[in-house]
Amino acid sequence: MILMPNFGVVVAGPPRTVHLLNNSEQPATVFSILESGQKQVPLVSDPLFMDLMKKLASVYTGKQQTRMEAKGPRFEVADFLVKLGTVTMNQNFKGVLVEVEYRPCVVPAYCWELIREFMQGFLGTCAPAQAPVYLQNRMQEIYQPLDTIQQYLEQFREYRKAVTVR
Amino acid sequence: MAVEPLYNALSAIKTLRSNVAVAFESLGNGIRSDHGEDGKETKFLLELQDQLTVVNNNLRDVEQSIGNLQPPHNPFSLGNSGYLSHEYSHDRQALYSQLVLSYKWTDKVHEYCNLAHAQLSQNSLTRSYTNTASAKRRRVQTSSHNVPPHAVDKVITQIDRLLPEMSVSITRPFATNVVLHVSVGRVLRAIIAFKGLLIEWIIVKGFMESLDLWTESRFKVFRKVTENAHAAVMRFYMPPMPEVSVKSFMTWLHSFNTLFSDTCKGCGLHLRNAMPPTWREFRTLEPYHEECKP
Amino acid sequence: MMAQPLSSAIDTAFKSNIVPDQEYLLQGSVLDKVVEVLLHRLRGLCDNVDSGPEPFQDHEMCFTIRTTPTPLNLRVRRALDHQEMPWQLRYIGQPEYGDKMRPTIIRSSIDIGCSATVVEFLTELGCRMEFEYIARGYMFRKGRMKITVSKVFKMNQNKSQESMEPLSESYLVELSVLAPRGQDAIAEDMRSFAEQLRPLVNLDKVDFKRLVHGPP
Repeated sequence: MILMPNFGVVVAGPPRTVHLLNNSEQPATVFSILESGQKQVPLVSDPLFMDLMKKLASVYTGKQQTRMEAKGPRFEVADFLVKLGTVTMNQNFKGVLVEVEYRPCVVPAYCWELIREFMQGFLGTCAPAQAPVYLQNRMQEIYQPLDTIQQYLEQFREYRKAVTVR
Repeated sequence: MAVEPLYNALSAIKTLRSNVAVAFESLGNGIRSDHGEDGKETKFLLELQDQLTVVNNNLRDVEQSIGNLQPPHNPFSLGNSGYLSHEYSHDRQALYSQLVLSYKWTDKVHEYCNLAHAQLSQNSLTRSYTNTASAKRRRVQTSSHNVPPHAVDKVITQIDRLLPEMSVSITRPFATNVVLHVSVGRVLRAIIAFKGLLIEWIIVKGFMESLDLWTESRFKVFRKVTENAHAAVMRFYMPPMPEVSVKSFMTWLHSFNTLFSDTCKGCGLHLRNAMPPTWREFRTLEPYHEECKP
Repeated sequence: MMAQPLSSAIDTAFKSNIVPDQEYLLQGSVLDKVVEVLLHRLRGLCDNVDSGPEPFQDHEMCFTIRTTPTPLNLRVRRALDHQEMPWQLRYIGQPEYGDKMRPTIIRSSIDIGCSATVVEFLTELGCRMEFEYIARGYMFRKGRMKITVSKVFKMNQNKSQESMEPLSESYLVELSVLAPRGQDAIAEDMRSFAEQLRPLVNLDKVDFKRLVHGPP
């Protein structure tokens, strides 16, 4: 489950956006992603960071605050973690996200085929043939909780672009 | 020499000292609030008198138990080290009492070893060829559990060089025996406890998990691999050739480098019951699922 | 599954006054040549007697961001001697000195553990780094009180730690407690502890604004 109030920051210069995200797998951690043009800066911190963002209230325009959430059941099959999230944007239903994590393995390239086989088992032909775009450049790196957050953010962004319910 | 009276005397002295301390402490503290208001001086004096009586009794006990002591008839037999008492230089004499202690200690170890040997020789499940029961003297066995540290280091670094994806670091937390931290690629880490060149214990865990000798992995797949590793330790056990045994085991462990990317030789799939192939054939190192192994 | 969203959980925590966001502070300084005496005294008085004083070496960067009505001060701290530890982001509010009766300075403070990307994050957000320095010294603990005795060094460019240039010939001594709102009793404890350190060091409510303008 992830919730995301995001803040559009306007200081002198180009516009910036801060996304605040939280994952129920790491309940005491706030992930913030600052977008400034093409550049992205992530920050992993204590939840008190939320309070600091309130102190910065006069810096950002709260105008485009949207809150997206993926919420639903969580299953464990051996070492696999499967989460079925109903995605809502400001309480409007948007779609369903399926998250599959194989937790013993820390390098995506080693276990991508294995995860794909697992997904084919219950999604059939809906299972993706390629790894997510975000991961493709990072297949040989050590996977971190932030990588899950980044993938959710990417999915949320797609939902916001889509006009109709998919 | 009878040790019992000596112990009695020592404990009597201990009691005496403690009670003397109690008496002096209450004398030093003077009249306390729990003596109340009425006749506090008399109460205090009575208390002190009681304590002094106790001290007197203790002193009598001490004298009595000293009377029971007999001086040793002949000096402790200490071998050549006994001559150390003839040394006049004082800083060297400090050695004497320590030597007495260590002599007693080795004596005790000797006694325990004899007992242990008697017990163990009756056990038919022994893993070492210590007691072949036959009377004929054989060539001295190569021992797998009593190997000098540098020889162990040599064998391990040799294996380290042989297996590219494996990195090992040697620690010796308890005197001479090696505890080995191994990482295989970025797939798994293992901790192996040696006794000489004999593998005593192994735990396999995920690459990002913290290692210690006793806690199991959080993940089912590594718990299964640990179980199989214990089987492999037994399978590769070869006391006459300990180096070969360790080397084959490490090669076997090294084959888990492809734990997540290999498909099973039996069914051709990655997963069975949501688990990857956790079994490696001992000879061919081919991957199999637990359920598919031949 | 979480019972309630995190942001509202934090709001609830703030409302019920369990978040330690108030810092009670006393400051002072000692000359280099007498610092050993003070350290010796602190060793005797504080809780970590057997383990000895805990050394630290921190790099601190101070950022400001333009907000209305007053600019916001943010501090980033990292331990140079424990590089694997998380970095610390700290918001410090305006200090309140109060009247003579109040024993310590009170200022609001939010401590946030965070990843090393924090400097880049703040810079992109529009914060400007005002100054940076290295503090090296010892930390003591006495109940809830924290006592630091540290020397402030200039941040030099080549960053080699041997050639660090000290800012002054004295050590900064700080006595502080981080507590939730409305626990003023702790301030009295701090006053009496400071009393025990006299005359080795005089811990007081130091008013920086007055220092800037020189003695009155």
